[in-house]
Formats: sequence, C-alpha cells, structure tokens
Amino acid sequence: MLHAAGFFPYGIVGGSTNLEEANAHLQAWACSHSRSSLARALEGGLDFLDGLIIPHTCDTMRMLLDLWAQIHPLPYMENFRLPRQVNRSSARRYLLGELTRIKEGLEEYRGAPIKNEELIRSIELYNQNRKMLRKLNNLHSRYPGLFSSRQLYTVINASMIMPREEVNRLLQVSLEQLEEKENKEAKNGHMPLLMSGTLLEPFEVLDYIEEFGGTVVADDFQNGYRYIEADVSTAEDPLEALAERQLNRIPSAAFDVEYNPRRHFLTGMAKEKKATGAILLHLTFCEPENFDGYDNLKAMQAEGFPAIRIESQFGGTGLGQARTRIHAFMEMIGGGSR
Amino acid sequence: MSAKNTFKTAELMKEIMKKYNETGLRAKEEGRPVAWVTAVFPVELIYAAGLFPYYPENFGAVAAARKVAHELSAAAEGRGYASDLCGYARCGIGDAYSEEHPVGKILEPDLLFCCNTQCGSLPKWFEVASRLYDAPYFLLDSPRVGLETDHLCIEYFIEQLHEMIKFIEKQTGETFDYDRLTEVLSLSSEACRLWNEILDTAALKPAPFGFFDACFHMAPIVTLRGTQAAVDYYRALKEEIDERIEKGITAIPEERHKIYFDHIPCWPKLRWFSELFASRGALVVASQYTHSWAYSFDLDRPLESLAENYTHEFVNRCFEYRVNRKISFMNKYDVDGFVLFSNRSCKPNAFGLYAKSKLIREKTGLPGAVFEADMADLRLFSEDQVLAKLEPFFEQLK
Repeated sequence: MLHAAGFFPYGIVGGSTNLEEANAHLQAWACSHSRSSLARALEGGLDFLDGLIIPHTCDTMRMLLDLWAQIHPLPYMENFRLPRQVNRSSARRYLLGELTRIKEGLEEYRGAPIKNEELIRSIELYNQNRKMLRKLNNLHSRYPGLFSSRQLYTVINASMIMPREEVNRLLQVSLEQLEEKENKEAKNGHMPLLMSGTLLEPFEVLDYIEEFGGTVVADDFQNGYRYIEADVSTAEDPLEALAERQLNRIPSAAFDVEYNPRRHFLTGMAKEKKATGAILLHLTFCEPENFDGYDNLKAMQAEGFPAIRIESQFGGTGLGQARTRIHAFMEMIGGGSR
Repeated sequence: MSAKNTFKTAELMKEIMKKYNETGLRAKEEGRPVAWVTAVFPVELIYAAGLFPYYPENFGAVAAARKVAHELSAAAEGRGYASDLCGYARCGIGDAYSEEHPVGKILEPDLLFCCNTQCGSLPKWFEVASRLYDAPYFLLDSPRVGLETDHLCIEYFIEQLHEMIKFIEKQTGETFDYDRLTEVLSLSSEACRLWNEILDTAALKPAPFGFFDACFHMAPIVTLRGTQAAVDYYRALKEEIDERIEKGITAIPEERHKIYFDHIPCWPKLRWFSELFASRGALVVASQYTHSWAYSFDLDRPLESLAENYTHEFVNRCFEYRVNRKISFMNKYDVDGFVLFSNRSCKPNAFGLYAKSKLIREKTGLPGAVFEADMADLRLFSEDQVLAKLEPFFEQLK
C-alpha cells in the first residue's frame, strides 16, 4: 500500500547500540529491538523518514508509536491495529476496515487517491520479490554449500530496506548464477537445523551455527521465512487480498492460529525439512516469544528433535555465551567444527 | 487504609469472597464450567450464561499481597518463563507446575475467556493455560482506541460478542438467555454506580476514603459485578462511609495533601505505601486503576453497550487520552501532586510513563514522581530506590 502510494517503505529493525538517550524515555526492560530502533531515531539515524507506521504485534509495539510521537515526531504517524485473533470471520471484516482506514490516511497525506491499478502493480512487485526469496531459501536448504545461512538472511533483510525494484533485479541475476553453478552438493556432515523466534538478531548466531557445522534450513522469524512465505492474490480486490494474506500467514508468537498451533507447525516444518535439531531464539524481554518458548521446546523434544533456547539481544551483547551454547548443542547433536 | 480504622464492612467482604470461592469449588464438583476471565472483560455474559467466572489475576494479586509471588514464580522461571514477565502470569503458571500452593491451588479452567483491552500478556498467559489444562480458549480482541469514539472497533467487538455467545452455547449446549443478560447488566451498572460514588468521597476535605482503601475494597467490583452480592456490598460500604462522614472519621489522621497515583498498587507493599503517604499527611485519592470499573449499560442495547464500555476502557486508549484523563482526575480530586508507578509487570502502563509525567508537569504545574518496582514481585522492589524518588516529591508538596 505504501509502495502503491509512491512512498518508499523502509523496515526498521533496530540499528543503534547507543541507548543512553533512549533509556531516558523507554525503560531498560523494553526489548532491545524497540530501544535500539528508538535510539536510532533519537541520534538522527532515521531523519530521512517522513512517516512511521507501527503494527500492533505486542504491548511494546502498541505503546511505542505514541511515545515516539512525543519525543521525535514525524509528519505522518500511524498505528496498524492488527486483529489479534485470525480464526473467526469478524477478524476479516475488521482488518478490511483497518486497512481502509490506513489507506484513507495515506491518501490524505499523499493528496491523491491510491488507485487499484497502483495497488495491484505493487502487489505484483512484492510477490515477485517474495517468490525469488523463497527460491533462494529453497536453494539454501537443498544445497547448503552454495551460500551461507548468514548470506540468505542478509538478502531477506536487505529486501526490507532497499528499493524492491533494485532487489528484484539483483535477485534475478544472483538466482541465475546460483542455478548455473555445477557443484551444488551438500556440505559433508552439515547438520540441517530449524530456528524459531520473533526476530533473527544478531546475525552472528548464524556464523556460530555455521562454524560448528550447522545450516539453518527452516525458520519462522518475522525477518525470515514468515516475511516471504505467502503472497497476495492479484485475482481479487487488492485490500481484501492484503487482508487475506495477513490472516493466513504462518503462526507466530504474536498470532497463534487455532487450526495450526505454532508448536505443531514448528515440529511439522522440522520434519518436512529433515532438521536434526532446533535452536529457539528468544529476544530478551520479548514477552510473546517468552510465553511460547517452553511449550515449543517441549513439543520439539517430544517429537524427537534435540532443541535449545538461546537468549539474544540487538547490539551484540552476550555473544560469547551464545557461541558457547551453540557449540555445546552442535556437539551434542553430532556436528562439530569444520 | 488506616490500621486502626478498619471498616466493619471489611468483614462482610471476607464473607462474600469466601462464598464466591466456595461457589467456584462447588462448580467444579458439580460439573458446572469454570470460566477463566480477565479483569476488564464483559463478565456480564459469563454470569448470564450461568458459568462460574474465575479471575486468575486475582489469584496473582492475592499471592502478591501475601508476599509469596516470587516463591510461586520459581516453578515458572525454572521452565524459562523469565522474571520480567507479568508477575500475575508467573504466579498462575508457577502454581500450575508447583507441588506447594501457599495461597491455595488456582482453580483450573474448563473454558478460558480473555479480553486484550488491558494488555497482550493476558492472552499469552491464557494461551499457555489453555494448553496446560487442555481447555478451549476464546480471545475477545479489542484494538486500541484513540481520542475519539471508534466505531470500527465497536462493530468488531459486537461481532465478536455474537461469536462468543455461539461459542458458549456450543460449549454448554444451552441457549443463551438475553433476558438474564439484561438483569445482570442492570446489577452491574448499579454496582459500578455505587463503587464510583464511593470513590468520589475521596474528594472531600478531609476524606473518609482513599485509594488504598479502594484497593482493599475492590475485589467485589472486579469479581462479582453483575450479581446482587456486589450491589449489596457496595450499598453497605457506602452507608458506612456516609456514617464516617457524619462522625468525622477520616481515612488518615491529618490530611494535608491529596495525591493522584497510577496505576496498580505494589501489592506486597500496600501497607508500607499507605503508611508512608499517611505519615506525610498525604492521602492518595485516585488512580485510573480503581476507576476502571465505571461501566454504565444501556439495557435496550445490551451487546452494543457492552462493546462501547469495554473497548473504550482507559487502558486501551492512546497516550493523549490517558494523559487527559489523568489530568481530569487530578482536577476533580483537586490534588497537590502525582506519583506514577513504572510497574515492571505492566508494559502498557509503564512504557511512555516518563513522557506522560513530563507532559502532566508542564500542563498542570504539579509536582510529580515516577518510581520503578513491581506490583507482585518483592525481588524487584527496593525501599531505598523508591524513597529516593518519593522523598524529594514529598519535599515539593506545599
């Protein structure tokens, strides 16, 4: 919708390690995602923004926009009040109303209506982007030797901050080159792993997994597979199609799905991708993830997947401990350093 | 709450809460469904459907007040539920996994109903409980509301109330009784009216009743609104307060200042706080918290009216609305200062509190303080740190 309106959508995923000024406004027990994002705005790192939309995925996100508006206002600021239940028909009607409200606000800010053709063109561009990212994701899980897990997630995250037209052009070239490569053999003895959590951060954990002989072949991160798994239909009314996608996304800590509970979804994905173990990443102070963690861990273990929970933070604190724990885990499941 | 001046109605409360708890246990024995609900939930529907509503938040508050929240939490924390999660939730989950039950065992649910106006912690806790007890869970979703009346949100909520009634009918096999709902709504409105009349007496100078008294007397408005018992209770309490006004009995010995406080009290330190404020001649007179239960229902439009009341509850409103509402309480009760509690357990109330404090100071010119602690967990409470914030505040009171 933002793209269709002629704006440049830029996804904020943290960005500052200098939290001093942010700490004066947001308690230290808010997650490091919210604090490092706010800190980045306060130090001028987001001055190129004209506006900010925060989706309500948790209490912190629910409170953040208003606080941001108080201490660092932008010309356009809006809450995206996602329905928190996605199973009943009321959610669809409401979400359509909420999308309409946001669309009207954007139109007012833009000074012109957002036409359906514009929306469909943008939807197609984004579908194309996700389709290519899924292809990249599949290549990675089938041929871990082709490129590293860190490279995969770096590309997915680049898609959130680069112009989609440019990302798509680069992705197309990369995919062609990768598919032409002759040696696509799996790395010897590499252990396929599932990772789960809200946000994949910091990427150093991927290095450690790789270092001790693992490859991430499945995940449900918001800045991972959850971001790319589903497309928007171009066959129906664009707003309805956008709502439809949101309601049918894979489960997460923020949106559990009655007919597809997250823990069962995770074990199913681990089986499908033949994972040999699971690393559950808990972003410290992320409440929704914390409430899910124990039951997800138990479900994994009950299905015979060795699993551990590791805490992580934006800004790279506690990396040494994460490395040690990943090392021990990889040894336990039979991997080892290359 | 003055230790020497205990309300005689307090005995009545003990009695009716005892009866309430016994009813819950009996419901279990008789096979009547026990429905977990949240504090700001249209419990009127649960009462009308003949289910027994149980408040796991109250269980957390009781554990907190008895200073055992950290003990109960241990079994949850041992499983990775971190100590930064809501203290009530940790008590509830901890109790489910514990062998020891220092405040009695939490009543196991047959059904779970949660409304997320208050926060996102409750739905996550209820999801955990739904898995733990293998009981069906229903989320009543209330998107956040801004300054104005939000019709989109109200319509969404009404539709969900219909969905919820169908869910209840399916679970109980009985047709929902709308006539009964009207009766329950009428009782609920009346209890809320009486409760707010009682809260209003804190504006008198000096006042017979303050916030810490309200914390003590609030259990029935949370738990039993919609029943005759709550109406009777608050009638009795109102009579006793009127009597006190006549006799000149005041909440604290020498009231020199009136203070606004947000939000939930620090339960294990309730007496400590009440004595601290009283020792400075300061009566805490109001908080958005105790004023949460101020519903007034239109009996001709029951579901619409429930949706309007519950979605537009202050905890679900935007920054500006909440600041305005705090200031309107400060004006109404003519306070001399305000104290805001950055409650570790309650992110929706704590995040933004420093900006709110600054704005309120600018708009009202009143002195104010923000302190950090937890509503339940004594490990997150430091007397020295709280005093370091409150002493300079008391100094500023004229």
